[in-house]
Amino acid sequence: MPKAEEYSERKTELSGWAVNIVTYRLGSTYYTTVENNDPGAWVVKAEGLTREETEAKALKDAEVLLAKIKKTPPPTGCISVPGY
Amino acid sequence: MSLEQVLVSTDWVVKDLKVPNIRFVEVDVDTKAYLESHVLGAVGWDWGTQLCDTVRRDIIPKDKFEQLMNNSGIDNSTTVILYGDNNNWFAAWAFWQLKIYGHNDVRLMNGGRKKWIVEGRELVKEIPTYPKTSYRAQNPDYSIRAYLPDVSKAIENRVVQLVDVRSPQEFTGEILAPPGLPETCQRGGHIPTAKNIPWSKACNDDGTFKSAEELKKLYASAGITGEKPVIAYCRIGERSSHTWFVLKYLLGLQNVKNYDGSWTEWGNLVGAPVEKP
Repeated sequence: MPKAEEYSERKTELSGWAVNIVTYRLGSTYYTTVENNDPGAWVVKAEGLTREETEAKALKDAEVLLAKIKKTPPPTGCISVPGY
Repeated sequence: MSLEQVLVSTDWVVKDLKVPNIRFVEVDVDTKAYLESHVLGAVGWDWGTQLCDTVRRDIIPKDKFEQLMNNSGIDNSTTVILYGDNNNWFAAWAFWQLKIYGHNDVRLMNGGRKKWIVEGRELVKEIPTYPKTSYRAQNPDYSIRAYLPDVSKAIENRVVQLVDVRSPQEFTGEILAPPGLPETCQRGGHIPTAKNIPWSKACNDDGTFKSAEELKKLYASAGITGEKPVIAYCRIGERSSHTWFVLKYLLGLQNVKNYDGSWTEWGNLVGAPVEKP
């Protein structure tokens, strides 16, 4: 039975969002998931035959998607959430 | 109740993979993940079609629930081990529904799909089939579910504590939903009086739950100690199932409900009070 191999995670920023890039290989296929760090949800996924190709595709798709998300800054003086 | 009766490790799963009366079930946010690979013998449930009423907005009806269990080869005495992606978001959602319908032995695999993959455990693509069973669900126990009137009342009487488990960006109204997730609402912000304790604060980097001591400290810092009843909510009720599980089973709070209507209900209501700090 195959096992996940070459697992890696790295954090970066895409279109102003902190993201986590997760890649592993299962058999001859590489799988990459780009997760949005804070809410913790996956954003895009990609698969391919090399790590470089798979990650590049996932990052490209994630960047396009994340750039479309509308952010509305909260009013100043928010005391419920540190940092605001 | 011992911790192992609700939460098992990946090592425990490896040891019991082929025990006949145990059924592994994968439930993911990404409903295609199961088809890519899964734990040997695991069946896959699609939260969007199999764990909800597909006509009206509700949890799965009792007869459909029985059908799902029958088709998954689960009978009333089966030990069900749930796991999934995003640190068990929808595995916890399934857990909550299994408890609503009175399934006796249901547990989460600590760390979910992520930990299994990180540890390089064996994965398969083959979809198993099991002989059909004749599952009989109990009448739904809605004592663990909060409805809109319960939340409205909580704001008025301040006896019940509300915990918003979404990210700070959703809590403040900066975004309406996490990127890539389509279910949204008309207004951003949060329900008045709610404390923001993101679900992810309850997890370690490897996806496992933090220790009971750490969890107790985390929730106590926001005044959640179990002295008052608690209602957890998020966007559609899956992340709050995760927190519901933590509060009820890992911290042993007696009165905790999951408000599955969550922000997609409240944030769409006409005239409902919204706090946007």
